[in-house]
Amino acid sequence: MRVITVFIAVVSGLLVLSGYFLTGFFPVLADVQTLLLNWAIILMGVAALVGIFNLITVHTDKIRRRETGSFYSAILVFFLLGTFFLGLILRPEHGLMGVVMNGIIIPVEAALMGLLSISLLYAAIRLLRRRADMMSVIFLIVAALVMLGSATLPFVNLPILGITSRWITQVLALGGARGILIGVALGTLMTGLRVLFGVDRPYGGN
Amino acid sequence: MAISLDLITGAISFLFTLLILSYVIGDNPLFKIGTYIFVGVSAGFIAAIAVWQVVIPRLVSPLISTSVSITEKGLLLVPLLGALLLIMKISPRLSGMGRIVMAFLTGVGAAVTIAGALTGTLMPQVMGTINAFDMAPYQGNAGLLLESITNGAIVLFGTIFTLSYFHFGARPRADGSMRRLGLIEIFAWVGRVFIGITLGAIFAGVYAAALTALIERLSSLINFIGNFL
Repeated sequence: MRVITVFIAVVSGLLVLSGYFLTGFFPVLADVQTLLLNWAIILMGVAALVGIFNLITVHTDKIRRRETGSFYSAILVFFLLGTFFLGLILRPEHGLMGVVMNGIIIPVEAALMGLLSISLLYAAIRLLRRRADMMSVIFLIVAALVMLGSATLPFVNLPILGITSRWITQVLALGGARGILIGVALGTLMTGLRVLFGVDRPYGGN
Repeated sequence: MAISLDLITGAISFLFTLLILSYVIGDNPLFKIGTYIFVGVSAGFIAAIAVWQVVIPRLVSPLISTSVSITEKGLLLVPLLGALLLIMKISPRLSGMGRIVMAFLTGVGAAVTIAGALTGTLMPQVMGTINAFDMAPYQGNAGLLLESITNGAIVLFGTIFTLSYFHFGARPRADGSMRRLGLIEIFAWVGRVFIGITLGAIFAGVYAAALTALIERLSSLINFIGNFL
């Protein structure tokens, strides 16, 4: 079984990868890549359904065992099944599903994002209290400068703030961000190559 | 009908915004009810979308359609079998059967990730750093040319110093401790300053976005109440 799983992972990965870079030499690879990606999309859809079924199982187990917070689990399962069957019968583009999206999902996401502003402010204050070193000071001064530079200030007009803020974001922060992004991309590349060479087997082929 | 749906949407949105913003007074049952409903509704919505926009149009419809060729139907038997193997993961006794599908998904995912990292991040970022030294647009204007070179150099060195910070190759010293090369150590220190500046700028961006979301939610609450006054 281990050999089969590693073989499938390596061959499917190499075929899809060569579809990106070697189609100039072997045009058939483009078709193979499209076919494999289509299979992967279908299987990802099924995997999402299996994952959601697992979520239901975990919460129904909690309800059955009458664990702490089982009331919230019951609410979760009720709304999950309700939305799923509503979507299954009416289709996701139906007006009622629009009510679910615009009345629950988007407002809750926006409200959680709004709560983040309070948490971030609290975290910044705690950072200065707990670790008032040079890096924390640089971090907070830059954050304050960029925020003041991009906001319209009442009563005063300070063009220097805008110029400084733009220079920080477009030059200094760009250098750091580019370093971080290149580092992340190199790390991603290495992780992907380790999977393709069968060194890492996160699908359980050890 | 449209007006009543809008009113229902507004009322539900008002209620859920209140439930979530109640977290300001601390973790409480109202906030928990709001978040659990949110998770349930989102998961149900995703499941419905997975069925209607992935499984049915890409797998079920082509298999039962008369206009699809036998060859294409035959090729679709592979993901159909894969889907059945994946469903076996629900049972603890048969979950091992799904490993083959997971291996396939991991392999394809790794290939897509490698291509994405190379063509979507690595090459554009390297080209962006190189193009900062493109002098063609500033020919004839010494001031702008100097500014462009200076800024390009700062970005280039910032990138190198930041990458140096993530270089953890070390050599053993006489006392047995591990230490990076002196030059790398200096570069890494400057890199830390660049990372601090970058994270500060990102923090400001995220904070501004979060504040905008909070203001939008508060104004929606006020507007909804205002409709009834």
